[in-house]
Amino acid sequence: MTEPPAALNDPRFMKALLDLVIPPSAPGDLPGAGALGLSAAVVTAIQADPALGPLVEAGTQAVQESALSQHPEGLAGMAPQAGVKVVEAQLAAHPFLIMGILRYLYPAYYQHPQVLEGIGEPPRPPFPEGFDVEATDAELLEKLRARRKV
Amino acid sequence: MSNEPVGVLVIGAGASGAAFAWSIAGAGMSVLCLDQGPWMKQRDYPSNGLDWEERGLGEFATSPNVRGLPADYPVNEQDSDISPLMFNAVGGSTILWAAHFPRLTPKDFRMKSDDGVGADWPIDYQTLEPYFALNDRMMGVSGLSGDPAYPYHEPPLPPLPLGKSGNTLAAGFEKLGWHWWPSDSAILSREYEGREACINLGPCLTGCAQGAKASTDITYWPVAQRKGVKVRSGCRVREITVREDGMADGVLYYDEEGQLQEQKAEIVVLACNGIGTPRLLLNSKSQQHPDGLANSSGLVGKNLMFHPYAMITGIFEEPLHGRRGPVGCSFWSHEFYQTDRSRGFVRGYSFEAIRGLGPAQTALQGMVQGFIPWGEDHHRAFARLYDHTATLLGITEDLPEDTNTVTLDPELKDSHGIPAPKVTYRLSENSRKMLAHAVERATEVLTAAGAVETVAEPLMRGAGWHLMGTARMGRDPKASVVNERGQAHDVKNLFIVDGSVFVTAGGVNPTSTIQAFALYVADSIKKNIETLFDDA
Repeated sequence: MTEPPAALNDPRFMKALLDLVIPPSAPGDLPGAGALGLSAAVVTAIQADPALGPLVEAGTQAVQESALSQHPEGLAGMAPQAGVKVVEAQLAAHPFLIMGILRYLYPAYYQHPQVLEGIGEPPRPPFPEGFDVEATDAELLEKLRARRKV
Repeated sequence: MSNEPVGVLVIGAGASGAAFAWSIAGAGMSVLCLDQGPWMKQRDYPSNGLDWEERGLGEFATSPNVRGLPADYPVNEQDSDISPLMFNAVGGSTILWAAHFPRLTPKDFRMKSDDGVGADWPIDYQTLEPYFALNDRMMGVSGLSGDPAYPYHEPPLPPLPLGKSGNTLAAGFEKLGWHWWPSDSAILSREYEGREACINLGPCLTGCAQGAKASTDITYWPVAQRKGVKVRSGCRVREITVREDGMADGVLYYDEEGQLQEQKAEIVVLACNGIGTPRLLLNSKSQQHPDGLANSSGLVGKNLMFHPYAMITGIFEEPLHGRRGPVGCSFWSHEFYQTDRSRGFVRGYSFEAIRGLGPAQTALQGMVQGFIPWGEDHHRAFARLYDHTATLLGITEDLPEDTNTVTLDPELKDSHGIPAPKVTYRLSENSRKMLAHAVERATEVLTAAGAVETVAEPLMRGAGWHLMGTARMGRDPKASVVNERGQAHDVKNLFIVDGSVFVTAGGVNPTSTIQAFALYVADSIKKNIETLFDDA
C-alpha cells in the first residue's frame, strides 16, 4: 500500500477540508470553498508563510491521518458531519489550524466573482467604475448648523 | 548620477518632505530629496484588481514588518503596546493613509498652561493658520466650513458625502446632542487641479487608483519638480556627516544599486517620520556629537507618542453600504476632546466615523472577534455582518513620557546593515482610562444610532499610524531638540520638519499640522536666510 501524499499536497483531501471550512450555502447561491477550486492557491500561500505554514501543515497532517483511520478514502469519502468531527477533534492539539487556513482562504474566497455575485456585489474590481454613495442627509446638516456648539 | 553639492538636502519624500521641498524651491538654492522608496504607480494599486483585499494584507500592508519590501526597514516592536505603521515610497505614508485631515486645535498648543501636564508648544495655531490654509489648497481638501470646534476656515472643496453609514451614525450623535462635523478630508469631492474626483472605490488604505486621495507624489511633488527640485528614489541615507565645527555637511547614502555615495549640502532637512528621524540622528554619531546628532539634550528618541486607538463597531439590521466611499473620511466628533477631570483622566479624544469593510476583511475581522465561525453557520453569520456594520474610532491623546522611546536595536539591521530602530512604548494609565471612556461613549452613541449589537477593541495594537515627539521642539536647548523654526539647537544647518518635533500629540490625526509646520519652517528659512546661522 502506498503512503498518501502529504495532506497539503493531496488535492482531494484539501478540497474536502476547504468544503468543510466554508461549505456551500443552504440555498445554494454560494459554492463551497473546495468546489470553487481554491485549494492550490491557498496551499501555496500557506506554505510561503513562515509562521502559520508549519502549524497548518502539522494540523492538516493530523486531520488526514485521523480521517484515514476512519474511512479508506479519508476526509474525501466522509459525510460532512463526520468530517467536521474529525477536524474538531484535532483543534485542541492544533489550535492554529483553522485560523491559519482562513487567513488565506477568506481573501481567496471573497474575491472570487461567483462569490461576489452571491453576496450581492458586482464581480469586478473597485477601479475604474467605482461606486455611488448616498448623499449627506440635508436635514441632519440643518440640525447641525442650528446647534453650532461643541 | 551627479553628487554635486546642493543647497538644501531633504531626506524623506513623504508628507512633510514634499511640502517643505515645494516651498523652499525657487529661493535661490538647489534642492535635492532622497527617499529610500520607489515612485508608485496608480495602475499598480490593489483596487485595480479583484484581489485588492489580499494585497492589502501583504505588499500593501501598513506595517513595514509585514511587508518586508526592499524599501522597508525592520522595526523591533516587541516592547511596544502599539505597532508602528508607515509606508516607504515617494509620498511616504500618504500613499496608504486614510486622508482624514483634521488640524490640531488652538488649545492643543498650550497643554501645560491649560491643563498643567505635558508642555506648551513654542508656536501657536495662529502662527500656523496661513500654512494650514496653503496646505489645504495644495493637497486638495474637501470639507464643510463652520465647525465650532475650530477657528473658522474654508476648505477649498465641498464635503464628501457621508453615505448611508455616515448618515446613520451622525443621526445617533444628533439624537444625543453631541458634537459632530463632516471631516476635512484630503480627498477630492470635485475635479481639482487636474485631478479627478473621488469615485468611492473604498480601499483608500492601499493607495488610490483614481488619484482623488491626496498623496504627495501626486500633489506636491509634480509641482516641486517643475520648480527644479530633484528627487532620487531608492536611496537610503546611512548617516548625516558633519564638519569639524559640528555643522552638518551632507550625508552618506546607499543608491539604488546599493553603492555607498556621498552627498554634500549646505542645509540638511529631516523628514523621515517620528521613528526614522531619531533613528538617523542616533546613527549619526561623531566625535563632535558622540551621543548622536543634535542630541546634547538627550531627548532624541524620547517622548514617543502614538495616538492609542479604540475601535467600536455597531451591527445594524439594515444594510449600510459601508464599504463604498473613503473608508476613513466621514465625520468627526470633539464632544470629549477637552479636559474634564470628572471623567478621571486629563485631556481627551476625538471620534472618527469610518465606513465598512470589504467582504474578506469582514470575514477575517469577524473571525477574530468571534462573530463568524467556520463550517455550517459561516454564511448566516457573514450575512449578518457584511454591509451591516459602522465603526467609530476613538483617537486618544497620548501624553509625552520620556520612557516611551525610539532607540537603536543592538542586533537588528536593515538590508544595508544599518542599525534598525527599537520602539519601547507602554500605554499610560491616563490613556487606558481615556480608551475605556471612549468605548463606553461610542457604545452609547452607536446604540442611539440603531445598532443592535456592539463590539469593541479597547486598544488597537496595529494602529500606530502617528509617530510623534521624538525630536521635540522648544526654546530651551536642554529640554528640546529643535527650536520653534525646526532648527536643531546643536546644529544650526540641520532642520526637522516631520512629526518628531511635536511637543504634544492632540487627539486628532497629525498630518495636516505636520505639513503646515513644514511649510512654516521653509518660509522661515526663506525669510531669515541671511541670518540663519548667525549664532552658530
